Amino acid sequence: MGGKKRTRVYFLMIIPAFIGFVVLYIAPTAMSFMYSLTNWSVYNPEIRFVGLQNFQKIFTDAKTVAALKHSVKYAFMITIVQNVLAIILAVLLNRKSRVVNFVKSLTFLPAVLSIMVVGYLFQYIMTSADGGLLNMIITFFGGKPVNWLGDEKIALYSVLITQVWQWTGWSMVIYVANLKSIDGALYEAADIDGANGIQKFLRVTLPLLYPAVSFNVLMSLIGGMKMFDAVFVMTKGGPGYATETIMTTLIREGFNSGRTAYACAFAVIFFIVVFIFSQTLTYFFNKWEEAIQS
Amino acid sequence: MKRKLLALLLSLTVIAGSLAGCGNEGSNAGASDTAGTADVSDTTDADAGATDTESGEVVKLRMMAYNAESTRATYLQYLADQLPGIEIEFEFVSNDNFDNVLNSQLQAGEGPDIIEGGGQTKLLARAGYLLDISDQEFIGKYADSGLQAYTVDGKVYAIPLQSWFEGIYYNKRIFEENGISVPKTWDEFIEIHKTLEAKGIKAQTMGAQSYEPMMKQSIALANNMFYSDSANLAFDEKFNTGEGKLEEAWLPAVEEWYKIIEEGCLQPEMLGLSYDQALDEFATEKAAMWECGPWAVETILEKNPDIEIGMFPIPGTNADKPGWLVGGPGSAWAINAKSKHIEEALQVLEVTSTAEAQQALVADNAGSSFVEGVEIDLGDIYADCDEAFKAGNVYAPWTAAWTNGQSVVEAYGKSLQEVLSGSRTVQEALAEADTTNLNLIDAMK
Repeated sequence: MGGKKRTRVYFLMIIPAFIGFVVLYIAPTAMSFMYSLTNWSVYNPEIRFVGLQNFQKIFTDAKTVAALKHSVKYAFMITIVQNVLAIILAVLLNRKSRVVNFVKSLTFLPAVLSIMVVGYLFQYIMTSADGGLLNMIITFFGGKPVNWLGDEKIALYSVLITQVWQWTGWSMVIYVANLKSIDGALYEAADIDGANGIQKFLRVTLPLLYPAVSFNVLMSLIGGMKMFDAVFVMTKGGPGYATETIMTTLIREGFNSGRTAYACAFAVIFFIVVFIFSQTLTYFFNKWEEAIQS
Repeated sequence: MKRKLLALLLSLTVIAGSLAGCGNEGSNAGASDTAGTADVSDTTDADAGATDTESGEVVKLRMMAYNAESTRATYLQYLADQLPGIEIEFEFVSNDNFDNVLNSQLQAGEGPDIIEGGGQTKLLARAGYLLDISDQEFIGKYADSGLQAYTVDGKVYAIPLQSWFEGIYYNKRIFEENGISVPKTWDEFIEIHKTLEAKGIKAQTMGAQSYEPMMKQSIALANNMFYSDSANLAFDEKFNTGEGKLEEAWLPAVEEWYKIIEEGCLQPEMLGLSYDQALDEFATEKAAMWECGPWAVETILEKNPDIEIGMFPIPGTNADKPGWLVGGPGSAWAINAKSKHIEEALQVLEVTSTAEAQQALVADNAGSSFVEGVEIDLGDIYADCDEAFKAGNVYAPWTAAWTNGQSVVEAYGKSLQEVLSGSRTVQEALAEADTTNLNLIDAMK
C-alpha cells in the first residue's frame, strides 16, 4: 500500500513540470508537424492541406540545403575542437595552486558574457576596417590583413573561433569536476606498473572521463546545430548565404518572409536530424560504457 | 514563537503586496506598506487609466517603428503638445527584425496600435491586419503618388510620412582639394574612384555586410536605365503576378552597375564592414563617398562637426539627364485593425496630416512631404540633388509597387554579396530574386 501511495505522491509532484513540458514543448512540436503539411503563411488567411509539398520545396532550394550543411559542419567542428581543447586544459589545470586557479577562472570568464556582447566585440575585433584589432596585429607582424567576417570561405570559421573561445572554459569546468572524482589510487597503481604520462591519460583518465565526455559532446553538438545568436550578430548569415544556419533560415523564411508552413517543415527536418544525431551518439556512448565496465 | 509570527506576518505582507500588484484597480491600500511594491501599484494605476478614456485620463498608444525615435523627436513632441490625452509609447525595432517581431505579434492577434509600414504594407492589408482608412477626411490632403503604395483594391490603408531617399554623400573638402566635381555619368563616377585611389585616398566606403547598400545602388541604375522610360512602369504590376522577370528587364542596368565591381571600386573587403563602421569611415574623413540617406546626417555631424558634406544623385549613362535617387514614400502610419484605441489612433493620423506636423517630421529626417501645399526646404546638403527632385527622379520599386518587396530585395541583396565575393554573376542574382518572388506568390495561394 505504502509503495503505491508513494508512487502517487511522486506522480503528483511531476504533474506541474509535465504540464509545462506538454504545453510549451510537446504541443508546439506536434503543431509544427501538422502545420508543415499545410500552406499556412502570415499573409494567407486560408489554411489548406498540401501534403509533402513544403518538404519537396526545401530539398530543391539550394539556400536551405546549404544552411542545413553549414549547421551540421559547424556542430561537428565545434564539438570536436571545443572538447579536445577543454580536455587538454582540464588535465593541465587539474592541480592545486593559486596560479592554476587563476588561469582556470580566466578560461571560464568568457562563458559569463552574453553571446550578443561577445558577437559585437568580435565584430569590431575582426572587422576589415582600418582599425580592426586582429588585422592590426597581423599586419604588425608583417602579415596580410584577412577579411574575417566578409570572406565567404572563412566567415563560418571566424564565428566558430569566437564560440570556441567563449565556451571551452565552460566545458573545461565540467571535465575538471569529473577528474576530481577519479580515484588517485588508480594513478598510483599505474605508476607501479611503470606507465608514462600519456599511457596514464589514455588508459586511466580518458575512460573514466566518460560521464563528462558524453554530456559535453551531446551538449555542444545540439548547441552547434541550434547556432543562431553569434551568426546573427556577427554576419547576419552573410556574406550572401555563406553563414546561414538552420536557425537563421527558419527565422528568415518563417517570420521575415512569412512562409510559416515552409519554416515548420524545415523545423520538422531539424527535429529529425537532431534526433538521429543524438540517438547515434547515445548508442556509441553506451557501447563505450559497456566496454569500460567489462 | 516570535520568529514564526514574524515570518507569518512577513509572508502575509508579501502576499498582499503581490495581490495589489496583480489587481487592475491599482489600489494603494495593500502596497503602501512596502516601498518595493509601491512601484508596481504605480504602473497598474497608469494601466488602469489607459483603459479609462471617459474620465479624461491619458490613453497609451503603442507605435512600432523601424526608424529610430531620434529621427522623430520633433514630431513626437508636436504630437504630445497637440494631443494631451494620448501618450505615445514609441517602440523601435530595427529594420532587420521588424517584420519578424511585427508578424509574430499580429499573428497572435495583438500588435501595436500604430504600425510603421513600408514594403510590407500591401501584404498586411491583404491579410486583413490593417484598418481601412479610405473614408477619413485627412486622406484627401495627400497627393495620389504618396498614397499609391498603400492602396489595395482602391482602399487606402496608411498615410505616407515624409519621403525617403538615398544618394551618394560626398566630402566637399576632399572633392575640392582634388579638383573633382559631381559626376554626371556612371563612368565619371567610376573615374572619380580611380583618381582618388591613385592619390591614396579611399574613394567610397560601403557597409556591405548588410545586403542593403549594393541592392539600392544597383536599383538606382535600374531607375536610370529602365524606370526612366515611363513605358516600363507597368513592369512592376507584371512582376507582382510573377509574369515579369527581373532577369530579363533589369539585366542591362545591373550589368552597367557591375562595372564598379569590375573596376575594383567596390571590393570584397567591404563585406566585412558594417553600416556603423562605414559611417565611421565617412564621418572621420577616411573615405570620400558613402551611399546613404538623411537619417545618417545627425550621427555624421555628431562624430565630426567640422565635416562638410553634400549629396549627389546616382548617375546613369546619359550625361544630359539628372541622375536618380533611390526612394519614395518611405514609410507610413497604418492602424492595427484589432487595436483597442482606433479612435485615438485616427486622431494621431489626423494631426500628422497637418502642415505643422509634416514640418516637424522633416526637422529630424529630411525628405519631401506628400501633403499637398507643404513646401519643404531640404537645405544645402541636397543642393546637388535639386534637378533630380524637380524631374521626379526618385523611385524604389520594392516599396512603391511590389507586393513581396522586402523579401525579394533581401534575396537579391544577399546574392549581390556573392557577386562581390566573385562566386555569382549578376544574372544569377537577378534570377534568385525572381525565384524568391515566385515562391512568395506561391505561398499566398
